[in-house]
Amino acid sequence: MKRLVAALAVATFALTSTARAEDKPAKITVGYLNLVNAQLVTKHLGLLAKEMPGVDIKYVKVGGGGDMLRAIAGNDVDFGGLGNPPTAIGVTRALPIKGILVINMLDYVEAMVVRADKNITSFKDLKGKTVAAPFGSTTHYLLLQALKDEGVDPASMKILDLAPSDIAAAWLRGDIDAAWFWEPNLDKAVKNGGKILVTSGEMAKRGYPTWDIGVVMNAFADKYPSYVEKFVKAECEGIDFWLKNPDKTAEIIAEELSLPLEDATRMMKGTGMVPCDKQLTGEYLGTSAKKGKFVDTLVSTADFLVKQERLPKLLPRTDFEAFIQPAYIEKVIGH
Amino acid sequence: MSVEASPMAIPISADRTRRGSLRLPKVSRSVLLSTLTIAALLATWAVVTEMGWANELFLPKPQAVWAAFIKTMTKGYQGATLLQHLGASLYRILVAFALACLIGIPLGVLMGVSRNARALLNPLIEFYRPLPPLGLYTLLVMWLGIGESSKLSLLFLAGLPGIVISTIQAVTSVDPVYVRAAQSLGATRRDLLFHVYLPAAGPLILAGMRISLGFTYTVLVAAEIVAASAGIGWMIWDAAKFLLSDVVIMGLIVLGLTGVVLDLMMRGVAKLLMPWA
Repeated sequence: MKRLVAALAVATFALTSTARAEDKPAKITVGYLNLVNAQLVTKHLGLLAKEMPGVDIKYVKVGGGGDMLRAIAGNDVDFGGLGNPPTAIGVTRALPIKGILVINMLDYVEAMVVRADKNITSFKDLKGKTVAAPFGSTTHYLLLQALKDEGVDPASMKILDLAPSDIAAAWLRGDIDAAWFWEPNLDKAVKNGGKILVTSGEMAKRGYPTWDIGVVMNAFADKYPSYVEKFVKAECEGIDFWLKNPDKTAEIIAEELSLPLEDATRMMKGTGMVPCDKQLTGEYLGTSAKKGKFVDTLVSTADFLVKQERLPKLLPRTDFEAFIQPAYIEKVIGH
Repeated sequence: MSVEASPMAIPISADRTRRGSLRLPKVSRSVLLSTLTIAALLATWAVVTEMGWANELFLPKPQAVWAAFIKTMTKGYQGATLLQHLGASLYRILVAFALACLIGIPLGVLMGVSRNARALLNPLIEFYRPLPPLGLYTLLVMWLGIGESSKLSLLFLAGLPGIVISTIQAVTSVDPVYVRAAQSLGATRRDLLFHVYLPAAGPLILAGMRISLGFTYTVLVAAEIVAASAGIGWMIWDAAKFLLSDVVIMGLIVLGLTGVVLDLMMRGVAKLLMPWA
């Protein structure tokens, strides 16, 4: 009911404002993932509000990629963030979204933690153990990839689907032996008898990069293209702030996530932030004329998910290329 | 039903246009009407999807859902066939429901018969009854872990209050004349329980059991969200993450149908055990 009223209000607003030269959204909803990246800085410094005076900006914290996909499918957000597996799922299922910016590259902010007293030194030692990961996320994808590469049958262990906060609780109770998940919850496991077996950054070096990409709903982008630019501009400023002011950024992260400063500093270092001009290189989004390696990652992720029977079919490469839209960054940095 | 249907038959007999439906016997008439509802629903579904009025991501075609059913029956969904998923869920539901009955009915009888017991236990029941079971789940997971016991407890807690309260009502509404008559014939407390209270209260207790089974059913998906790897509820939840709406809808239909079957079975048992009801 509330949403209906909101929708009517937006519709009325849209009707009354058509007379004006430029359409302006009454409200935008930004879904942000509960992890450590520069979106927290943008949010904390109110950079988005500075770009869009008079627009009601609502931030919604989303636990993981699966929930974000549901939020996007339900049209509950205007902007969101997705890891590469949920992105591959969303593109394959033809969700009306475009990838517009690299939110972060995942390094040791995500890791596979194992119980130090269980004598687990390789993936082969996981046989018969209980392992947790949020299904459908970057870490679930990496876990299955790593098991495949090491020739370990996933059926030889118990793999459980748990949200990151539930993994932390289950770890403290001693219900699980290993888990691949991310900060800020990862730290709770490491500090309570955990040992890092492998990080997502190490998997990137083995050819399985994982990242999160900022997405915009197509309907919003069609209606308010200049506001997508404003969004990208604000996020780019947040990334620049992160790169130029590490100490202040750590303070912001510590405050946003209620963490001790030293933990925030370490988590920050485990996240790769890419300045916006660099995002247009072949390593990342690429340019509108020549899309970059993100397309390769999406294709191989989707291919993997098809083999896992999580996706019905592998779409042609052009569909993934169409999803990546560096045009907004190109405009913002004046290419 | 018969009370309703017979006066209806008189005006309809005068109505020439309805002559066709008049000749149908009463039972098959209600079956026909129910079938009509289902057929109308299926037809709407088919038309809406065939005409492309609905996004297939949210509402897949009936044949896609059927294909998902066949595939899950034969090849399975993520390592378990549909029957294995269903078995895991039914096991959880039935164990939790049996526990709720084993504890809820005696508790209800005790509270119904004894004023003191009612006074002692009522605050607990009244406080806990309106709590949403999901609110308790986080706590249950922390206390009992992510294994089977927290799932069973959640389902048990969802089923318990309905059964306790309807048993109390059933027992307190037993006509005191029966009790006094039996007592005057020298009935012991044990005789009273098994030969007066339970038979007289049986039908109402059973109605409470049916409601309680329904409540248990409603929290199944929630119970299987945390760390399950099999079960219809988990399958629905997992498929939703990957936007496999055909599997989601198929799971919901299977869940609904099994619920109806369980309810029919309980009614059958009731007729068998309590022919006087």
